Amino acid sequence: MTLQDLILKLSAFWSAHGCLLQQPLDLEVGAGTSHPETLLRVLGPKPWSVAYVQPSRRPDDGRFGQNPNRVFKHHQYQVILKPSPDEVQQLYLESLETCGINPRQHDIRFEEDNWESPTLGAWGIGWQVLLDGLEITQFTYFQQVGGIDLSPISCEITYGLERIAMFLQRVDNIFDLEWGGGVTYGEVRLQEEIEESKYAFGQVNMPPEEFASAHRDLFDRNYALGEKLLASGLIWPALEFCLKCSHLFNILDSSGSIGVTERTAYILKVRQLAVKIARTYVDATLPAAMSEV
Amino acid sequence: MDRELLIEIGCEEIPASWLPGLTRQTATHLDGRLKEARLDTDAPAESYSTPRRLTARVAKLAERQNDHEELVTGPPVGAAFKPGGEPTPAALGFAKKYGVDVAALERSETTKGTYLAYRVRQRGKATVDVLADVMGGLLRDLTFPKQMRWDAYLEDGKGELVFARPIRWLILLYGGRVVPFVIRRTEIAQGPLVQDIRSGPHTYGHRFLTTSGRAGRAIKVKTFDDYQARLLENFVILDRGERESRIRRELETHARRLGGRVSSLVAAHSSLLQEVPDLVEYPAVIAGHFPVEFLQLPEEVLTTTMIHHQHYFPVVDEEGRLKPAFLAVANMQPEKPEIIARNSERVLTARLRDARFFWDEDRKATLDSRIDRLSTILFHKKLGSYREKADRVSTLAEWIAREACHRPEAGADAARAGRLAKADLATDMVREFTELQGTVGGIYAREEGQPETIWKAIYFQYLPVGVEADAPPSRQQLGAAAVTWAAVSLADKIDSVAGMFAAGERPTGSRDPLGLRRQAQGAVKILADLPQLTGITDRVELWPLLAKALSPWTVPDEVEQAVRSFMRERVVYLFEQRGFDVRNIRAVVPQSLERLDLVDAGRKLEALGQMSGSVALHGVAELFKRVKNITKGVGAGAAADPALLKEPAETALVEALTHAEPRIRAAANQADYKQAFQAIEVLRAPVAQFFDDVLVMAEDERLRAARLALVARLRDLILDIADISEIVTES
Repeated sequence: MTLQDLILKLSAFWSAHGCLLQQPLDLEVGAGTSHPETLLRVLGPKPWSVAYVQPSRRPDDGRFGQNPNRVFKHHQYQVILKPSPDEVQQLYLESLETCGINPRQHDIRFEEDNWESPTLGAWGIGWQVLLDGLEITQFTYFQQVGGIDLSPISCEITYGLERIAMFLQRVDNIFDLEWGGGVTYGEVRLQEEIEESKYAFGQVNMPPEEFASAHRDLFDRNYALGEKLLASGLIWPALEFCLKCSHLFNILDSSGSIGVTERTAYILKVRQLAVKIARTYVDATLPAAMSEV
Repeated sequence: MDRELLIEIGCEEIPASWLPGLTRQTATHLDGRLKEARLDTDAPAESYSTPRRLTARVAKLAERQNDHEELVTGPPVGAAFKPGGEPTPAALGFAKKYGVDVAALERSETTKGTYLAYRVRQRGKATVDVLADVMGGLLRDLTFPKQMRWDAYLEDGKGELVFARPIRWLILLYGGRVVPFVIRRTEIAQGPLVQDIRSGPHTYGHRFLTTSGRAGRAIKVKTFDDYQARLLENFVILDRGERESRIRRELETHARRLGGRVSSLVAAHSSLLQEVPDLVEYPAVIAGHFPVEFLQLPEEVLTTTMIHHQHYFPVVDEEGRLKPAFLAVANMQPEKPEIIARNSERVLTARLRDARFFWDEDRKATLDSRIDRLSTILFHKKLGSYREKADRVSTLAEWIAREACHRPEAGADAARAGRLAKADLATDMVREFTELQGTVGGIYAREEGQPETIWKAIYFQYLPVGVEADAPPSRQQLGAAAVTWAAVSLADKIDSVAGMFAAGERPTGSRDPLGLRRQAQGAVKILADLPQLTGITDRVELWPLLAKALSPWTVPDEVEQAVRSFMRERVVYLFEQRGFDVRNIRAVVPQSLERLDLVDAGRKLEALGQMSGSVALHGVAELFKRVKNITKGVGAGAAADPALLKEPAETALVEALTHAEPRIRAAANQADYKQAFQAIEVLRAPVAQFFDDVLVMAEDERLRAARLALVARLRDLILDIADISEIVTES
């Protein structure tokens, strides 16, 4: 099964189970959770079920295209079910069967792995799903987002698309994956990986101090703009700048520009903005949502 | 007639590490709730668990509650009747409350007099009618390391029901019959896909395994034996002990087949064998191999990958050397184990390939050459980079070895180890295996040919973690590096505490994001166990180390005070954990930390523990508060004319002090504190007599000065050992 077939299968499955099919957020983010379709929609009482692919950038995982398993950018298939149906684990397992994974021939396990995003003030309880020892999915019952207790509880299912495709295609190198129509993942993404990794680790024609200060500066400017936009009541635009800050922080981190303690301060700062955004969203949408529910 | 009670709380996968505790809790709380409901049982409840269920069984549970009888007292008889014998309104009101005549009330004799009383008799209800309350109580009683909200509540007026993971089904059977019970779902979540959970007679077997029909379908049960047997048919081994012995047996068999045994590291460095039985309902061991070339990786990296990242058991040969093989425990009875084996091998190999890449890349540069890169990693914005931290740790470690511990010969190596200690933060291996920070630096130092005194000081720098006397590392593990390690480990921790306080980052309440408490605790532990760990028997006082670490920063007095009280809390905590009386601890650990040597403090605590029955010592302690109060403001060795002290009680105290002083000092010099306290306890009578007979605050100024000087002499003599007024405080 090609990578794109896998996406089609999952989309057909979740569409049949009542999910809206959304599109990726057109910004640099680390995970599908950052998408407003998750981050904002899980707040408040309104039921919402949605599925989408999210290209996810993890600067720290960049390996210059040399590592067969680890990449700067991978793809998540993100499913949000609000409220979380009782049979959600069973549904998930059926989705794996749809993709050609026969649970009787493998060892599929739900092992404790709680998820937390300090920068988004969000956390949840859940598992990593292991398929013969390979982590293929993060399965989370959100408890808080933006520091706000959720009700009802949403379930987030995040499939690691490349991992699952490699498993199904029995390839050991991500760049050998068939993306679709005989074209490999390497053909699509290798050059991008090399360049993004160089960037993420600060391997540019710039002294490290200058690289660091340029990013600190970008962070500060995006942050200030995010705050201004929020003060004008513009939740979506404010969130976009908040997410940019989150990514810039990741770059500062991966390029070794900040230490453990300063790291904590940056996380706290992004979190403060995220919390304010979540609060504003709830205040703005709650009355309407309540009358609908 | 007694009947069987069977409860099963069917759950989504509960974290393995919680299950042993939850299983115990289930039995204890059920027993508690049954007792509270006045339901007799033949034996304590049995409890069982798998990742997807908590089960409890009481073989014989009474069919009815015990009757309840209680004597309720009303007004005193004296206030119950008028002089003519007519009942008062108080008596009438009490009788009316229970719907009887005053004549029907009993008399109850109490220590306070005779009261009117009414005997309440409540006939026990049928067990089936109270079991729902028991069930609700049990669900409320269970506690979890981290609880989850899942849109559920109980109709017991207490609202939301949090749990470990969502509950999916519930068995509540008494005598084979379902007792109705319901867990409601909140209105906001309730719908076709989110429903109430009602008690029933159905359990569910293994998710994927079945001999007939659909895997995971509902199975109807009546009794516990039936339940356990049906679960086994459906690939669930209910008893954890059975799962564990099955795993052990299969591990041994497979290891033998591979020509080795399971590495003892598993037991020594992890709780893997404790954890795995709680990860599976139907275990099977699967053997896999990894390419032999990975054996060139350090053992720590291989085992961390296998044990911590993959839950695999490493296999070793007769000599204890790792073999290129591992054992995985699957929750399956797989049709084709080779499929799972091959997939597991691919996962492990991928991880090892990563590790080897880091290993090869990292060793292209020496640790020394990485120190410069530390300047790009900020430790704290007010405290500078890790490069600067490394320099401070190096200086401090050298000073600790040379000056504080009087080991000049270890100074140079302590300095060098301190300088290299943080270099592994700039390696790829530590980026990937953050839990191996320090360990990796130590391994790279060893590979570079650094002597044991240096590489082990780096290797063990983040230890100790616990406060127990035998928390690693041991003297034996440290070998030639004992002194350099102590110096580096202390320097790193104390530098962090001092620096962070100087930068205004102090832990508050439950917030300690920088882990300063843990670091301070580690430093305190090293100092408390210094002789056993390093062979250093010289006095090494705590405060001078902190004062030295604070010296690069300008800190106001208030911050210095905060550091003192923060460190003092850690000292008190350590001694409390080691079982000493908190009052004695306060006596030997001064607020100021001045002259505090932890080894010495430990000896004093031992001695005070042995003296806990001494009435005389406690007598001196009682008087000592007065001694301290009255001499406030009187300096040590205050000049006064001893010739003025002529009263018998005065001369008796002078004599007792003159006699005790050399004995106390000699005992203290030999660190024989039991003897010192025994010399102190002798002072009880003369001190008591003195305070009885003598007015210290005499009108005559010279006389008063002489008396105060005498009491101050007593004060300083005792304070030199301990502030014993603390040992008699209310704790």
